[in-house]
Amino acid sequence: MEPRKGTAQKDRKGSEREAPDPGEGKVVRGVRVRPARKDDLPALVGLLVRLKRLNGEFDPLLAVRPDAEEQALRVLSADLSNPNSLLLSAEATGADEGKVVGVLRATIRERLFYVPEKEGVVLDIYLLPAHRRGGLGEYLVEEATRILKERGAGVITVEFPSLNEIATRFYAKRGFRPITSIHARSV
Amino acid sequence: MGDAVSSVRPKETVREPPSGADAPGDSAHRAERETAELSERAVELARHYGGKMEVVPRVPIRSLADFSYWYTPGIAQVSREIQRDPDLSFELTGRWNTIGIVTDGSRVLGLGDVGPRAALPVMEGKALLFKYLGGVDAFPLPIQVASPEEFVETVRRLEPALGGVNMEDTASPKCFWILDRLQATLRIPVWHDDQLGTAAATVAGLLNALEVTGRRIDTARIVLLGAGAANLATARLLRALGADMGAMIMVDQKGILQAEREDLDELMLHNRWKYDLALETNEIRRRGGLAEALDGADVLLAASRPDPRAVRPEWVGRMAPNPIVFALANPDPEIWPQVAREAGAAVVATGRSDFPNQVNNSLVFPFVFRGILDARATGIPDPVVLAAARELARAARVRGVTAEHILPTMDEESVFPEIAAAVATQAVELGIARVRRSRAEFLEMATQRMTRSRRLGQWLSQNGLLPPMPPEG
Repeated sequence: MEPRKGTAQKDRKGSEREAPDPGEGKVVRGVRVRPARKDDLPALVGLLVRLKRLNGEFDPLLAVRPDAEEQALRVLSADLSNPNSLLLSAEATGADEGKVVGVLRATIRERLFYVPEKEGVVLDIYLLPAHRRGGLGEYLVEEATRILKERGAGVITVEFPSLNEIATRFYAKRGFRPITSIHARSV
Repeated sequence: MGDAVSSVRPKETVREPPSGADAPGDSAHRAERETAELSERAVELARHYGGKMEVVPRVPIRSLADFSYWYTPGIAQVSREIQRDPDLSFELTGRWNTIGIVTDGSRVLGLGDVGPRAALPVMEGKALLFKYLGGVDAFPLPIQVASPEEFVETVRRLEPALGGVNMEDTASPKCFWILDRLQATLRIPVWHDDQLGTAAATVAGLLNALEVTGRRIDTARIVLLGAGAANLATARLLRALGADMGAMIMVDQKGILQAEREDLDELMLHNRWKYDLALETNEIRRRGGLAEALDGADVLLAASRPDPRAVRPEWVGRMAPNPIVFALANPDPEIWPQVAREAGAAVVATGRSDFPNQVNNSLVFPFVFRGILDARATGIPDPVVLAAARELARAARVRGVTAEHILPTMDEESVFPEIAAAVATQAVELGIARVRRSRAEFLEMATQRMTRSRRLGQWLSQNGLLPPMPPEG
């Protein structure tokens, strides 16, 4: 969600030089990025709920439901079998070999009135704090972009709370700009 | 966490509480009673004297004619000189010796958010300590602000009148942001005593405690209990001293701080300083509470809340042999010293003057400011803070360091100007001093200015200009 500037740049260049191998997954900062598997689910649920709690810090209208874990399990399980979904796991190597430390959830959306007609949407992205600031978040986004583009997306969008300035800066630096806004009020 | 108030309160008759974990017993009751009496008397005296500080001239006034120099028309030229060279404001006005004691009153002593007006008597007391101990003219300036941004902006606007800023009693974590912003934007030194004063005294004591127990800073396993202003600053200074940060463990109300704790994202957004330490410390991701943290630890630095049961003796027993225990909460330490010693602690320090080894920020702030003002420094970076800590440690070693004497006491007055001189010299070495002198010259300068201040107070009293203390009762 918030890799720090300097190192992120370096890794970005590094990752651009070597073409990532989609099957094996590429190791960035001691973490391997690969398609999620069924046995990742318990860890992915934890990460997704952490992300939703983080979102809850920005706005009371994003307060997390008590059954968030069940919801997460339901949504993530569905992702695994949905051809329109993309679920990437970031898996530690070395001492913590095999431990899932990050997740990216994305989907392909049809745009009924606009061109490009297909939109790759990054719905959720979360890294455990110890794995931030090293360029891994950037790599996840780039990897998702590559795959979604392969699947026909002509535009990549991301969704996050409006008051998340860290995310705003992170994406702005990578060429994203706001195109639609969701405004809310309690009723 | 010896604060100014505890450092100057009269020596209490209370000594060690009887042994046992729940030891306070009679002596604690006695201490409570004495505190109640002191409180009553303090209100009585505040009413009698109508505050603690007043403004006194620095120049003689032989007749009103002298105001031609002190005021118009002569003063216009002084004004023009400063307009030509703003740094002259440190020479041609009292700015060189003037600081503001700034607070929003959001965390006053142990009272909490009492607001700026109720903070004023505390800031006056601090100003009195600055004047009496350091010869520093400190203006108590509680400010009414609605946000950290407004705090910074307000102090920024006061800069032309001040040679330095002492921040005080402002809640954590906003105090970190405010201090960082002020240090980055002001060209005068800014200090937050609850962070730096306490941290400097703690580090000074720790350096000697390590020596007494034959340890080294870079190999000692250090546990910090409490993650407020003082301990976060202490951790930063320990990093600068080369402590093993990966082996360090911080513990707060939620237990051991570690990179995968559930509240880490919340910390990332609201307490960046603690978040950074969560990632940097506790490499092995130890989980649990203080008991687990202390397993095999060499040092405990507790700066949490007054509760003598916070650190259990059996946990001290789990530490490495001959451990170091600092229990700095006031008025009651996290563990009574005798209890800690019986549990095996080789060196124990508290924030109280009635036990050996008082970690007391009054040993630091008046003299740090004396030195930093004498050097007319533009800032007060961590190496300067460390210079004060190292000098304090060195001064204690001159008299001989033992398990019961790791820090100078407030009676060891010859130490005070030495700290000022060490600070001023460090500022010169860092290239942030507007006044460049030798250490001996700074020592002389500090001694004179501090002595004069004390003599002034004595003279006012002896000549009847300060009314005598009213009889008690």
